[in-house]
Amino acid sequence: MGHTSARQPHHPLWTRASHGLNLLVLIVMAASGLQIYNANPVFGGRGGATVPELLTLGGWLAGGRDWHFGFMGLYALNLGLWLALLIQRRRRRLGELGDLTALKTSASAPRRRLSAHRLVYTLMLIVLAFSLISGLAMYKPAQFWWLTSLFAFAEPLGVNSWQALRVSHLATIPAMVLLVVAHIVLSWRVGGLRLLRAMAL
Amino acid sequence: MNRRQLLGLGLGGSSSLLLGGCALNGVSAAVGDASQPLNERLEALLQGQGKVPEFRPDQVEPAALLVNSFNGVPRLDPERYRLQVKGLVGRPLSLDLGTLAALPQHTCVMRHVCVEGWAAVVAWSGVRLADVLRLAQLSPLGGYLLIDSADSYFESWDLASALHPQTLLATHMNGAPLPAANGAPVRLTAPIKLGYKQSKWVTGLRVTAQLGERRGTWEDQGYEWFAGL
Repeated sequence: MGHTSARQPHHPLWTRASHGLNLLVLIVMAASGLQIYNANPVFGGRGGATVPELLTLGGWLAGGRDWHFGFMGLYALNLGLWLALLIQRRRRRLGELGDLTALKTSASAPRRRLSAHRLVYTLMLIVLAFSLISGLAMYKPAQFWWLTSLFAFAEPLGVNSWQALRVSHLATIPAMVLLVVAHIVLSWRVGGLRLLRAMAL
Repeated sequence: MNRRQLLGLGLGGSSSLLLGGCALNGVSAAVGDASQPLNERLEALLQGQGKVPEFRPDQVEPAALLVNSFNGVPRLDPERYRLQVKGLVGRPLSLDLGTLAALPQHTCVMRHVCVEGWAAVVAWSGVRLADVLRLAQLSPLGGYLLIDSADSYFESWDLASALHPQTLLATHMNGAPLPAANGAPVRLTAPIKLGYKQSKWVTGLRVTAQLGERRGTWEDQGYEWFAGL
């Protein structure tokens, strides 16, 4: 490390552990989810285009379901615990309305970047929670019928609640891909290697 | 570590993930075996005994109900059809369609969910499976129901799900007699189970205390056994 005198800071262990585990579990959930998608594409049904095999996990529908439902518990526990700890101990780290104001009005570019960074990672947690809720509504539509029926919002447009639910759940993948790209770029701009080390190592 | 090294690490890491994905397909069943016992317990706990809310009859989606069959469409002669009920029952039965029609009839407008991901709202009508099992004097020793079909499709259910008030032996679909492709003359339907649990062309019910080696046509290939909704 040589002459750099400042000690490398680290996020608390629970943050780093949840962050790393979340990344791993998320890749498994997305790849196995795309495997399930291929059994009956959300767009086009049986005749619809499928996702390239390279991006899927499981080999066939039952294998994809093995991974998806095998990791969903881990995903839910990790996300739930992480959100609870964040809200209880690091609430000020989460994005808020002030960040939105700073983004629009602040004259300082670093301040705007930091606000954008905070908003992006907070939005990621919201999207992840939404993917869990929409997944539960599809996994147990009979027991959580009230949750599934929330997706009737598109019925006036001729899209039934099941299709709206499938589209919503699937949409969390492209949403997360965009957010992950933004998150990586922004954390690099905000904190560079030092921030990466603080989170990853 | 500089930027270039970091980029290299990222690219290397993601490509090995992609390559690893193919090798990981082989351990899918092991992941399922590790997580399914707990998942199935939670599913059984969630299920409860109560009725699932039903749809309105005008919400049925006949076009959305796709037909899956693992072995073609058997044509059963309604005159010669008999439903055999045996195993751990006090009174084994051989029921013809007239006897089934004389039992109390029920309709359930439910969402039929296929393991593939599609779903369709269907109105199924027929007798409660519970009524047939009680008519056969179901033994308290029974824990599982084995279901045989004319096309040699095989299923097994937990008895709690079989006795659910919305689990029907359906003879009608959307107000008309059951079409051959949908399981005529008698099929199993329930809003609490995935489609592959809902055997078509049902010819035999056997009550047992234990599950055997064979758990179901698709379950034996790797699908979940409880498959609750």
